[in-house]
Amino acid sequence: MSFALEAEGLVKTYGAVRALDGLSLSIPAGGVFGVLGPNGAGKSTLFRIALGLVRPTGGTARLFGAPAGQSSSLRRAGAMIETPRYPPYLTAREVLRMLALESGAGGSADIDYWLERVGLGGAADRKAGTFSVGMKQRLGLAAAFFTRPELVILDEPTSGMDPAGIQEIRALIRDLADKEGVTIILASHQLDEVRRVCDRVAILSKGKLAAEGDVEALTGGKPRLRLTVSPIDKALAVLGDKGQADGANAVLADVLRAETPALIRALVEAGVEITEARWREADLESAYLGALEPKDLVDAR
Amino acid sequence: MLADAIAAERFRLSRDRASLFWGFAFAPLITMAFSIAMDMFARAVLHRTIPGETTDLANRAMGAAAGASGPFTALFLLIGAAAIFAGDYRWETWRLITPRNSRVNLLAAKLIVFAEVAAWSLLLTALTAVVAGLFGAMANHARLVGPPAGPAFISQYAGVALVTWLEVLLVGALGALIGVLTRSTMGAVIAGLVIVFVQSTLAATVQAATWKSLLIPAFAGRVLKTFVIAPPEMRTDAGQAGLALVFLLVWLVALTGGALALFRRQDLTKE
Repeated sequence: MSFALEAEGLVKTYGAVRALDGLSLSIPAGGVFGVLGPNGAGKSTLFRIALGLVRPTGGTARLFGAPAGQSSSLRRAGAMIETPRYPPYLTAREVLRMLALESGAGGSADIDYWLERVGLGGAADRKAGTFSVGMKQRLGLAAAFFTRPELVILDEPTSGMDPAGIQEIRALIRDLADKEGVTIILASHQLDEVRRVCDRVAILSKGKLAAEGDVEALTGGKPRLRLTVSPIDKALAVLGDKGQADGANAVLADVLRAETPALIRALVEAGVEITEARWREADLESAYLGALEPKDLVDAR
Repeated sequence: MLADAIAAERFRLSRDRASLFWGFAFAPLITMAFSIAMDMFARAVLHRTIPGETTDLANRAMGAAAGASGPFTALFLLIGAAAIFAGDYRWETWRLITPRNSRVNLLAAKLIVFAEVAAWSLLLTALTAVVAGLFGAMANHARLVGPPAGPAFISQYAGVALVTWLEVLLVGALGALIGVLTRSTMGAVIAGLVIVFVQSTLAATVQAATWKSLLIPAFAGRVLKTFVIAPPEMRTDAGQAGLALVFLLVWLVALTGGALALFRRQDLTKE
């Protein structure tokens, strides 16, 4: 398996603050990889090291197998780190023209196509400094994608966008990963966005890897039926290996929707009282909160 | 590649018209405007011309080029240098640019583009001096004369312009180093101006050309220009001029090297 980004024992300190604390993580090439974590977990620092913006205090980071920050590997990557900013005297088209020249893409970069694709076709000749946050994000996305890199790192790509824009950008990300084979690493605070868009997820906490896996595996995959029951041991006996306790008086049943009437009938016939039954969708939030220590959550607030 | 970074920087500066104007065009233009205004004032007040007055346009151009590294011009050059070297900290745009080329190329491109624009600015200085001279000659009915040096003027002018250009590059390199160090356009202008003013004041008080005094760039520049302009039979010690040139180059290498070394290792967390 080839890896787009690898971190091994990565440490970064800013004075007394340890932004990354021996982080080891391998992000495979292909698909969309989500990076989650509370504020200060080290997501942006990881990205900045990968892009050569900051130097690690210890450990190694590799981009496509080469030390992070090297021009040869950076040419294969595009990025949008935090809210992008632009020189106020450049229009959106000129920003992309400047970046195309900078990266050696020159005339081969399809600037107008990408401005249209991120919904800025009508604002191409407006000064980028006058853009709203959402428009700046869109231009940042065009800047990340327009040289057709193999890897794109996106830090909160949809923050500041309206709901329609968010949907549009999510579709664009998924489309680029599925149809054009671009590897996308995405950091987001929106768990729903990560669940919808990403194939795999890593959860960072205090500069370390707290959990990693397929989104389906982390969320438990398909939806499950949650039943509030009494007594719970009798319910678990009826459910057998399809049931799992969820607290003191509830069970999670791994059944199909069509099996629900039969299951409820069986529980009632076994003398189990059911006070509530509802379907629980695949839940990344539980996986996220479960991976973090309670103190992380307090610190992050 | 460096060529890509230079093309990008050139493109970008061509769009930053405010920095181009204030940094590289304002000083020559205001000097010309002031000269024209003085000629008009003198004509209006005196109501007569000075009999036998002559105007040597070539020497005016050379004088303007020789003086284009003084503190007044340096102030505006530092504004241009700050926009070029510290603009990406001010606009927080390093994170947009740095992943697309090597850091050495990015800063080297800025230095090269500054050197280019500074050369154009020196040319503009000479042209505006000629325009102001022509206007003065017309206003005062002065006779236009050629330079006393004759054809040798061309090499003298080229020598003076090169030395001034070297001094201007030092101002740019100073702006680069301070800009990277302070990550601030204002810091680059103010700290740079203080340094330029102090060394110009020191240079004005120095008379003897010793190795210590030649370490002051403004003094080294003056010694070099005097050497270039003086007729061969009146030239001072060539060794002093050579040492002055070496010191100016050492300063340039030290300042640009310092800026490059610092920028290569700098963490761009919050620009």
